[in-house]
Amino acid sequence: MLALLQKAGRSGFSVLRRLLAGGFSNEASPLNHLGALTIFSCWIVLISGIWLLIFFRTSVSGAFESIEYLTKEQWYLGGIMRSLHRYASDAAIVTILLHLVREFSFDRYRLKRWFSWVTGMPLVWLVFALGITGYWLVWDELAQYVAITTAELLDHIPVFTESMATNFLSDESLSDRFFTLMAFLHLIGLPIFLVFGIWLHVFRLSKPRINPPRSLMAGTLLCMLVLSLVFPADSQEKANLAVVPQTLDVDWFYLHVYPLVQLWSPGWVWVLLVGVTLLVVLAPWLPPGKRLPAAKVNLDNCNGCRRCADDCPFEAIRMMPRSDGEAYDLEAVVDSDLCLSCGLCVGACPTSTPFRSRSALVPGIDLPDLSAAALRESIKKTAGKLEGYDRVMVFACAGSDALSKHLKADHAVVNVRCMGQLPPSFIDYVLSRDLADRVLLAGCGVGDCRYRYGIEWTEQRLSRKRDPSLRQRVDNQRISYGWQTDSPTGQEAGS
Amino acid sequence: MKFLVQFIAYAIFAAIVGLLSVWPGYQLLPPQRAVISLTISHAGQRIGECRRLTQEELNELPPNMRKPSECPRERHPIRVELQADGKVLYETISPPSGLWSDGKATVYQRLQMDAGQHELVIGMNESGGGDGFDFELKSTRELAPGQNLVIDFDELQKEFVFR
Repeated sequence: MLALLQKAGRSGFSVLRRLLAGGFSNEASPLNHLGALTIFSCWIVLISGIWLLIFFRTSVSGAFESIEYLTKEQWYLGGIMRSLHRYASDAAIVTILLHLVREFSFDRYRLKRWFSWVTGMPLVWLVFALGITGYWLVWDELAQYVAITTAELLDHIPVFTESMATNFLSDESLSDRFFTLMAFLHLIGLPIFLVFGIWLHVFRLSKPRINPPRSLMAGTLLCMLVLSLVFPADSQEKANLAVVPQTLDVDWFYLHVYPLVQLWSPGWVWVLLVGVTLLVVLAPWLPPGKRLPAAKVNLDNCNGCRRCADDCPFEAIRMMPRSDGEAYDLEAVVDSDLCLSCGLCVGACPTSTPFRSRSALVPGIDLPDLSAAALRESIKKTAGKLEGYDRVMVFACAGSDALSKHLKADHAVVNVRCMGQLPPSFIDYVLSRDLADRVLLAGCGVGDCRYRYGIEWTEQRLSRKRDPSLRQRVDNQRISYGWQTDSPTGQEAGS
Repeated sequence: MKFLVQFIAYAIFAAIVGLLSVWPGYQLLPPQRAVISLTISHAGQRIGECRRLTQEELNELPPNMRKPSECPRERHPIRVELQADGKVLYETISPPSGLWSDGKATVYQRLQMDAGQHELVIGMNESGGGDGFDFELKSTRELAPGQNLVIDFDELQKEFVFR
């Protein structure tokens, strides 16, 4: 069931990626920067929010009038800022939802990646709390509805002895202090937690994508700006607690559960919210996933070059002072609590070369359960199965659906954990030793790598932009990329 | 071609964001309907009488804790009933709050009803016994469509208030 859901999700993103491929390069595809786009939306919200704050009055009578002034009188700046504030907030919900579904579909939330997944859930709650308090501050009919319904929801938590909803029975019972409290929450309290939460969310990631590419930022900002000009955000009638509004224009991104409070009851809405939250938070352990042994450093062959630490996507390798008395300054140390056993470090290790014949193939860092020596043996064994004039050896990444898409009957397959595990010297080995005529790399789509940088590092190594790079003697025309989202014929390496 | 695809992608994104931020509208209250907001926060009577301590009992207590009478902390729940045109529209029994059941009981309910003239009767029993009410108010009200009529209990005056 889980595998089916994930496969359906991956298929959906694959279709979306193909549709976007004509307009966005792989590097600038929005699908590769959903988290960063959310943060970028937060920047738009922050900057536009500062402008709104300058004119906003935190009182029952002043809130609505000050927002109306910005919207109507100062439409050319304040109105646009208000619209940007709303639409960027809504856009953040879209990107958050896509980000969450994408990480689930590509199985990037289990095992040692639970931390980023679990710390993402409070961020969702915080963003919703920010949106809800933001709508509250406008103090129009929608704000009235939001205030009363939120109060009814909170009253259901058995910690408040006095009913909060009684504050919204009539205009006389409403106090300016409530607006001060809401303004504090919306402007200071919740944003502080949000910033801290984002830091925690990416804490265990190496080279987290905080900012999307400039072209994507420019496009998104322009898109929001045009939307703000064409369809400016507006208030509804001023709140009047003596009257219940009949019809409301509801922001469904933030308020989708609110009608359920009337349809069901606050209690059942809490059951739904807490249930969904628990399901998402516990997802990494439902089921927990197969644990793999962490990468192991072989100090005899480690010269402390740092390449493994630089290429590790999960901050699992640290360079520490040498402990064995060798002449090198540093040695790699693996934190087994953070290591995902992806093998990107093995692909980065210059000592991981299959040409070594005088001594055993034991690179400076290796995967205990899928070692470089075992990989070389697998290559030799697989090569024996190839015959004919166009012998193709396929290196297939375990985490992708690409193999079934690109595999032909006369191909022979060597499995790797992640494409980034394959050192370029192994491709050189296959071609220079005449073990195959061509090499096909069948891996995840660019940006879809289960281990974040497997495809990116591979492409850079093979195009000789990243160490350890492919030797010049290797003809790139003999290497094809069969990434999942590419066409079945693949793309010429280095082109 | 590249810019056309980008334009379409951004246009679809903007359309989704712009549309779902206000559409479809949500009907909170059907036409020709009004709302009664019933809100009560009231401590029911204590479940027993206060009792004066005997001299022997006082002597057993530390000097700083000697008070002449002892009252049970626990309070009765409150029973509230709202009738409209002779029919019970809402009734509930609300327990006292607090770990020792000695706090206020609260009732908050929003009820929809047809707009127009209605004879409303609100009653509250705070003493735990019988079918009757300790506090009651009858009133005939003309409810306008969309009106929010608040029925509150004034703790100072000890009476119901229609607002």
